[in-house]
Amino acid sequence: MASKMANDVKSFRVASFFLQQRLIIILFLLIVSMFVAGEFVSKGFLTSYGHICSVLRSASFLGIVSIGQTIVILTGGFDLSVGPLVTMGNVFTCMLIKGIDSNTPWALAIIIFLGAMFGFFNGLGVAYLKVPSLVMTLAIGTLVTGITLLLSRGAPTGLASPILRYVGVGSLLGLFPVIILIWIMLSAFFVFLLRSTTFGRKIYYIGANEKAAFLSGVKVNFVKILAFTISGAGAASTGALMAGYTHDAFFGIGDNYILWSIAAVVIGGTSLAGGKGGYVGTIAGAIILVLLESLLTVMRMPEAGRRIANGLIILILISIYFMGERRRT
Amino acid sequence: MIERQRDLRLYIPVYSIFIAIYVFAGILEPTFFTWKNNANLFTRITPLILAGMAQSFVLLSGGIDLSIGAIIGLSSAIAVSLPFVDTPLNVVMWVLIPPLLGLSLGLINGVIIAKGGFNPLVVTLATGAIWTGVTLFIMPVPGGSVSLSIARTIPGTIFKVIPTPLVIFLVFVFICHFILRRTEFGRSIYAIGGNESIAYESGIPCTRVKILVYGMSGLLAAFAGMFLSAWMFCADALIGDPYILNSIAVAVIAGTALEGGRGGVAGIIGGAYIFLLISNILNLLAISSFYQFIARGLVLILALSLTSSGATLDIRGILVRYFLPRRSSMSEIGK
Repeated sequence: MASKMANDVKSFRVASFFLQQRLIIILFLLIVSMFVAGEFVSKGFLTSYGHICSVLRSASFLGIVSIGQTIVILTGGFDLSVGPLVTMGNVFTCMLIKGIDSNTPWALAIIIFLGAMFGFFNGLGVAYLKVPSLVMTLAIGTLVTGITLLLSRGAPTGLASPILRYVGVGSLLGLFPVIILIWIMLSAFFVFLLRSTTFGRKIYYIGANEKAAFLSGVKVNFVKILAFTISGAGAASTGALMAGYTHDAFFGIGDNYILWSIAAVVIGGTSLAGGKGGYVGTIAGAIILVLLESLLTVMRMPEAGRRIANGLIILILISIYFMGERRRT
Repeated sequence: MIERQRDLRLYIPVYSIFIAIYVFAGILEPTFFTWKNNANLFTRITPLILAGMAQSFVLLSGGIDLSIGAIIGLSSAIAVSLPFVDTPLNVVMWVLIPPLLGLSLGLINGVIIAKGGFNPLVVTLATGAIWTGVTLFIMPVPGGSVSLSIARTIPGTIFKVIPTPLVIFLVFVFICHFILRRTEFGRSIYAIGGNESIAYESGIPCTRVKILVYGMSGLLAAFAGMFLSAWMFCADALIGDPYILNSIAVAVIAGTALEGGRGGVAGIIGGAYIFLLISNILNLLAISSFYQFIARGLVLILALSLTSSGATLDIRGILVRYFLPRRSSMSEIGK
């Protein structure tokens, strides 16, 4: 009898787990089916380990930028400064390191500090001046672009150091790409942070109902500023990591990340109104975006078709999410 | 009356900053005041004003439109791809087809957003990507041409004195201001932007108004695209990209709040001029163009902190929170 009840409880738990996580399960099924579809178009899309790694490697840069974007969107804001900050991290890293290993640690520290500082400014404006995050981060982003251009005098110089190269393109034991391992560790940390710490719960409260959160004693401004600071630091360090991937710096490198990071978060099922969603979905979103790009490249789709496909997939996914929400209410 | 006072409070800062910057530029470089330079400025500012007004309509209703750039690109690509160049038929098609196209693209945005209840940011981001894709299919490389008469008139002059762009933007700003202030449609936009559920309760057809707002935005964006096509004499699929964020910046500098319901288009000329003249002045001072981004960012932050709702930095609140005994922080809650 008791064992039957325990069994029932267990199967109930399993069922409710699947019900809660069905969106994420669907997203990962979508990823698998995209890989399988790719295999039909071009041999080796799914079966070649190297190709899977290269897709995940590109996705890891997008994924790391999207950590901060996810947190900011969960609080009910947006961060449009991630693009300029990625570029800034990329350009400054190469400038400071100049291809020498011993320069790497302090250069990375400076980059992360700069990113966190601009993120902090974003947070100050949003929290205390009550400027809508969309324009505040737009303004700070413009400022960052200017500073990057000014300090590099419009022509990026320098190279990534061998250590950074190893992080960007190397593999541990020749098998596990380092950047993917870093992404996995960061993901585990931030999923834990969002789900199991008071800071994470506060982020969800603020996104769901800012006033109620304030009245229950959450330091709304502090949490918001911290969210933007994390986003800024994450974006700048992504730029630094990308220097290891591309070897030298390039000005347009961050441009796509503004909209891609938001798209990854949205595809991952996080509500743009804030307070609902999480980072696991964003991981799937980042992989889907990169995979779609790779799939369309293999299909020799011109730029025009790629844009249309990107737009359509976002429209289709959000309409599916909203349909589901409406049925529940 | 109250409304007029509120308008003045909103527009006096914009236009006084504009005049200050304008005079400053003139002191730096006397030729700045010449008619020729001003005529040139009118041409450069017109697409910015049109795009800024397109964004203002949407922002006032509490939404946002990131597909403006794509609509500008597509309408200018269509405007230069029309057949029978240099015949009256081409001119007629040039006048009719791009605006209709922009209007219908905007209405599609509106239908998806208002009927589906989706987030406007994501929807216009996605539709913008789709339309840029379509534009790239039509025009993979920059090209095309417009009738000579259009290219002469639109960036040129009327009766050899009055610059056409000046007439164009004054007429458009007047019409848009009239629509916002004197029509039921305009009033409804403010009501929806202020508080949508109250607007709905008071019998405003929210869905229809929102669809029309995005249609209006598409229409104005298409006019901006047409103007660019006439000015450039050709088109490029990505010509509209800078206007996505610039239109938001100009609308905000002109005093329109991003939360919706506050602002208008009467300040848009000043806003666009401030945005444009900053880079102009830096050029006059022979300062490296890299500073232009920094200056634009700073001006935007300044404008934001002056126009946002939390602008009056809550000094009393900060004092209460950090410097007074803990008990009094309860007074925060009463607000």
